[in-house]
Amino acid sequence: MLNQGRIDLLERVPLLKRTLKSRAFQPAAMLLTLAVFTLAILAGLVGTPAGSRNFGIVFVWIVWWALLIAVLVPFFGRLWCTICPIPAPGEWLQRRAIVQRRPGKLWTRGLRWPRRLKNIWLQNFGFLGVAIFSTIILTRPTVSAWVLLSFLLVGVVLSALYKNRVFCRYVCPVGGFIGLYSMMAPVELRVADPDVCVAHKTKDCLTGNEYGYGCPWMVFPGSLQRNAACGMCFECLKTCPKNNIVLNLRSPGSDLMVASERRLDEAYKAFIMLGCALLYSAVLLGPWGWLKDWANMHTLPHWGLYALGFVLLNLVILPGAFGAAVWIARRIARQQQPLRRLFVDYAYALIPLGLAAWIAFTFGFVLVNGSYALAVLSDPFGWGWNLFGTASTPWTPLGATVLPFLQVGVLTTGLLFALNTTYKIARQNSAQHQAAFLATLPVSGFALLVTLGFLRLYLG
Amino acid sequence: MRFRELLARLTLGLIVIGLPLAALGYQYWLRPATSPHRVIDIAAQAPEHAGFSPDAIRVAVGETVTLRFASMDVTHGIAIGPGLGVDLGPIDPGEVKEVTLRFDHPGIYTYYCTTWCSPDHWRMRGTIEVSDPANPELFPSAAPDPVIETLIAEGVDIDAVHAASADHGSEMTTWAFQPSAQRGEAVIANGLEVPVELRDPEWRQSNTPSKALELLTAHNPAASERDLLDAVAYLWTQDVSEEALASGERLYNQNCAACHGQYGGGDGPAAGTTAEDPVAFADTGYMVERRSDVLYAKIRRGGMGTDMPNFGTLFTPEETWTLVRYLWTLAFGTPPGMQTG
Repeated sequence: MLNQGRIDLLERVPLLKRTLKSRAFQPAAMLLTLAVFTLAILAGLVGTPAGSRNFGIVFVWIVWWALLIAVLVPFFGRLWCTICPIPAPGEWLQRRAIVQRRPGKLWTRGLRWPRRLKNIWLQNFGFLGVAIFSTIILTRPTVSAWVLLSFLLVGVVLSALYKNRVFCRYVCPVGGFIGLYSMMAPVELRVADPDVCVAHKTKDCLTGNEYGYGCPWMVFPGSLQRNAACGMCFECLKTCPKNNIVLNLRSPGSDLMVASERRLDEAYKAFIMLGCALLYSAVLLGPWGWLKDWANMHTLPHWGLYALGFVLLNLVILPGAFGAAVWIARRIARQQQPLRRLFVDYAYALIPLGLAAWIAFTFGFVLVNGSYALAVLSDPFGWGWNLFGTASTPWTPLGATVLPFLQVGVLTTGLLFALNTTYKIARQNSAQHQAAFLATLPVSGFALLVTLGFLRLYLG
Repeated sequence: MRFRELLARLTLGLIVIGLPLAALGYQYWLRPATSPHRVIDIAAQAPEHAGFSPDAIRVAVGETVTLRFASMDVTHGIAIGPGLGVDLGPIDPGEVKEVTLRFDHPGIYTYYCTTWCSPDHWRMRGTIEVSDPANPELFPSAAPDPVIETLIAEGVDIDAVHAASADHGSEMTTWAFQPSAQRGEAVIANGLEVPVELRDPEWRQSNTPSKALELLTAHNPAASERDLLDAVAYLWTQDVSEEALASGERLYNQNCAACHGQYGGGDGPAAGTTAEDPVAFADTGYMVERRSDVLYAKIRRGGMGTDMPNFGTLFTPEETWTLVRYLWTLAFGTPPGMQTG
């Protein structure tokens, strides 16, 4: 049964349902985040170039990032996409309204998004591109501001050319990994009864009605099996005349078992996220000064080598090593499925490990650098303001004694989740327990090696 | 249009237009306009990038100004001299420190970095031109320094020996012991005959310890070499109060230690970047051949071709003498009852 073992939060908490059905909820949240986003861009453009004292750096790459990766994504899935300010101006221009449901067509050229780009490859390469320059983007307020501003502008341009949220669904480098890791979240938006949707002729959730717009994420809720593509905008909740939309509390990671929707682009996203976490940890937390210098573009040839290594690790070395593990698994378990199919399937076992690695990495720099937020709150531009009396708060690294335990705990949880997922996927591909168990071993060995790599970086 | 839509649009306008206008308007218009006096923002960056921006400020006599220094890249230290006693201490990246000043006389002052921030650290200076509104282009010309004038008249080549002490090993006397000012006081108290000129601070200022040793040896032929050198060490370090010694040490650590080393070993972190090896003030063999007035002149005027910058625009003559006296303590140790940091 589709919703077996799940709790419908909308039914349990009527206030939540009323809030999410309200047309004002999402725009209000977006306006709030847009204000913060505008301040971040402004601080980056005209504030101090010292990243640790600039709102644009501290509140985007420390506060927001920590909230996103350690709280919002693992516990609420795509909830950030609900309130993200980046697509807001484009979407409001399309609708020619912010709150109200304006009748008529969306204000856009209505071009067709190329079929071959209806995947997350663009998001994969976009994230990789940003990641290669991350040491620059994350530390230099002006660069950071231009990157954020360019996201906003691309969002507006794509909204003017294409219907709905093409930017979020196929382009946004952040949206790509949020979608991937949202499959781990313990919440999901689904329909109570798919048969109701099948029988429903007008499909208001797709076409829209006087209560809301057709799904901006171009998803049919009736066939929704995973969180990956649902932006949790709750338009369907507003438009559904059958009251068929539910917001379930469920066991985390359920989406990883949806075999029919596994794809190579998402598998590669799992490798890219894992590889980037590994490289970020090495560059930002590791003891190798020369690697930091290379990543910081001290010399162009060295940065070129770094960028080449970055791309190779993410697109060739990690997938190659994983492919070898899958090849061994296929051989020893005598699995009949094509190697590519198994490669894609087992890659989904890396999603919990990747998320855990990102959380562990984030703990590493948030606890150390989080205190900058207090000073920056009072003096966002580094102009010597003291709005809340906290401008002189000294840099105070926290949790030095508990950090290793936190990181080991999170990584171990991620590894155990990955091993369990590997076995479950193996069982999907092998009727017998013994064959599935054998297939699990090489893939688990890969996950274990990667985990040991992270532990080496975090524990020294 | 429904109220909520109108409210949302208004909020959007406030965010996209109002927020930038409010922030920029406050910082660049309202804040200066409501300040009781002029506020000048000065960005501090390593000299390889921009140094101080602006690096020159013009102020009228009697005008009160607030200077707000913001470090943009690395930790800098800010002081303003000569003679203002302004030392804002270290300023970390992104930090802002300010000082409010009022100048009573026309003149030229210098704000400078006191923390070694880059290989070109010593270039990190800016000027404050204090002009008389009645004659805005007229600045008092720098008076000739009588000490330097006297040296020139005497025919002393201030740059005659400017290389590191290590390069002059063949000229120097070396001892198997470290001279001690503390022991020197006891030696003199125990009856060592000190010629009258050695007790004259002005004589010691323009003569070398080596010359003093010759005189002491002539008057005390039976005294040991160590006693004589200890007595010289005491004589050359006795003219300074504990407070002045601390002040000299602070000036030295802020402005000299990067090249000359914290303990005068000529081995500071910037030692390798200079055209010639920095002098090691702790090298007694080198220092016994130096004159205080020549050290003074070198500090104020800088060392030709050595990368030794001039400090005459940063320090008063009194501060410079304080620094010279501190240099002798690096060579000879501190006199009894005195402690350096």
